Amino acid sequence: MLSSMNLFSTIWHRRELLWNLTSRELKQRYKGSALGFLWSILTPLFMAAIYVVFLRLLARGVPMEDILIGVFAWQFTTQCVMGGMNCVTGSANLVKKVAFPREILPISQVAANGIGYLLSLLVQFPALALLLWHSGSHFSSAWPMFLFWMVWQTMFNLGLAMFTGAANVYFRDTQHLVGVGLSAWFFMSPVMYNMEFARNLASKWPWAVHLLYANPMAVIINGYRAALLPGADPGFPPAAWVGFAIVPLFLIFGTWMYRRLQKNFADLL
Amino acid sequence: MNAIEAHNLGKCYTRKGLGAPTLFGALTGSFRSKNEPFWCLRNATFEIPKGRTIGVIGPNGSGKSSLLGLTAGTITPTEGTITTTGRVCSLLELGAGFHPDLTGRENVFLNAALLGIPREDVKKKFDKIVDFAELREFIDMPVKHYSSGMYVRLGFAVAVEVEPDILLIDEVLAVGDIGFQLKCLDRIRDFQKRGKTLLFVSHALQTVEEFCHEAFLIHHGQLVERGDPGDVIMKFIRSYMGEGGGLFTQEFGTRKIEFGDVRLLNTAGEETVNFETGGSLTVEIPYTAHERVEKPVFGFSLKTGNGMYVYGSNTQIEKHDIPFVEGEGTIKLDLGPVRLMHGNYFLSLAVHSWDHAEQFHRREDWWPFAVRNPTGALGMFQLDSSWS
Repeated sequence: MLSSMNLFSTIWHRRELLWNLTSRELKQRYKGSALGFLWSILTPLFMAAIYVVFLRLLARGVPMEDILIGVFAWQFTTQCVMGGMNCVTGSANLVKKVAFPREILPISQVAANGIGYLLSLLVQFPALALLLWHSGSHFSSAWPMFLFWMVWQTMFNLGLAMFTGAANVYFRDTQHLVGVGLSAWFFMSPVMYNMEFARNLASKWPWAVHLLYANPMAVIINGYRAALLPGADPGFPPAAWVGFAIVPLFLIFGTWMYRRLQKNFADLL
Repeated sequence: MNAIEAHNLGKCYTRKGLGAPTLFGALTGSFRSKNEPFWCLRNATFEIPKGRTIGVIGPNGSGKSSLLGLTAGTITPTEGTITTTGRVCSLLELGAGFHPDLTGRENVFLNAALLGIPREDVKKKFDKIVDFAELREFIDMPVKHYSSGMYVRLGFAVAVEVEPDILLIDEVLAVGDIGFQLKCLDRIRDFQKRGKTLLFVSHALQTVEEFCHEAFLIHHGQLVERGDPGDVIMKFIRSYMGEGGGLFTQEFGTRKIEFGDVRLLNTAGEETVNFETGGSLTVEIPYTAHERVEKPVFGFSLKTGNGMYVYGSNTQIEKHDIPFVEGEGTIKLDLGPVRLMHGNYFLSLAVHSWDHAEQFHRREDWWPFAVRNPTGALGMFQLDSSWS
């Protein structure tokens, strides 16, 4: 826990640097593309549309609201993992030449993606409201829980960004492994399906569903859905506590590892 | 108070290098031969009091830049400790924090944030920074459209305007055009006057001698000498130059005539390597002619520590005809009252045939010597100036 507390004091002391790097990240991400920031909304919308059509073709019904929530949340995490992975190697010049707390690099990645996620909610929420209204429903009264799950996901993403960022400096294989890992993880997380779908699919192997609950991403996406959608109650079996607890543990582990490895960053880049 | 303190400081790399390792390499690493350690700096213990300017000299690859990196905190010591007091700003990363897509203005704030300077302070100094960099009309342009000179100027301006307590300089004084260079040097003198600490790595020995209170000589990762810049530079030149240094001595010729132990003599006739402007400098050149050589020509040349050719002449040009030489003999070269000003110089000697077809013996940059100027006049050469 100690290393995480440290982390927050670093963030506070170097908040100006953090803000500078975050805004740099945001500016460079959307500069030079005609639609700019719209892409971070259009991409998940297109993905959601593809999944809906694909699942309809398979004659499997998953509510469009579930998919929408899943896709936006998933995009937040993948962006943090990919951005975090390249945050140190991509700033080689900076790391080699300037002394500053290295933790700021993954933190600013997560901050930039977090801001992107928040802004994308401006589209996600009206779209959800529209879908719910269409089916004669409305947002669940548990919606404030959405904020909690956002904090939880951000913590998890920070742990992931630290882990992949540090690992990629030491082993450049990381980028290939991460690519494969994300694909596998995507199918193991309820992004384009929900827990009901998984239970039906895996009715013969109930333990597999338990494993699914132990996945932090499943816990987080389920949390989002339960917070916003009145009909959705994905449940919270004991296995889900595992997925829930992995989040802070992984943040501590990622921070600890990043701190241990960062002293050699300048030599390895 | 000490600005920089290092105790038993060392940095080790492995000879195979650590760059771009792979998971496969790590897994199979234990089966391969052991990595040989390579200490690019070791056992460095020193303290630099506040307000001093230290020049760090040494052959290429001796560990100078590692020392600066360790001081800046960008690389972590393998052993020992280094502590700095106050804000450290290094001029080795001019524009390193710049992002090409951001404008000059945005980059100034980003760069200052990297150095840990509060935004309010930067706002106050912003105009000074822009004026110093002479980039008023380009400040809102993305820096990717800047010329390399503009880039470096902006980096330098940020670094010097943010009032660091310790300034690290690594061969960057050659930035921009001559006007800007002079401005930079002025600013560095200004830093010295205000009691800032400077650590200065350079191959330009003349500049080190001019600017620094003290010089460190680093060789093979060891801090071998520290002290008065003139003495340390002399020691560097005599001991290590030629090992990939800025200049290198060389010797060639058919050796029909060979130089013996050449001696450099001052006004009092004593052998020395330290001379004074206005004093005399006589070179005593013993030689051995292994066979009778008709009409040989003896020549000499002088270069500065920065490699600039100062003067060269020979007995042919000066109409000092030598009919022949055979066996042992001595020839004297009198450089008259020394017109050279404060600095380090190299003497080269040669002896060749009358038609320049055969080089008997030539020693390039072989004899270093230093000149001290007691008069207080400035510049490179003493002219016979007078006022009336």
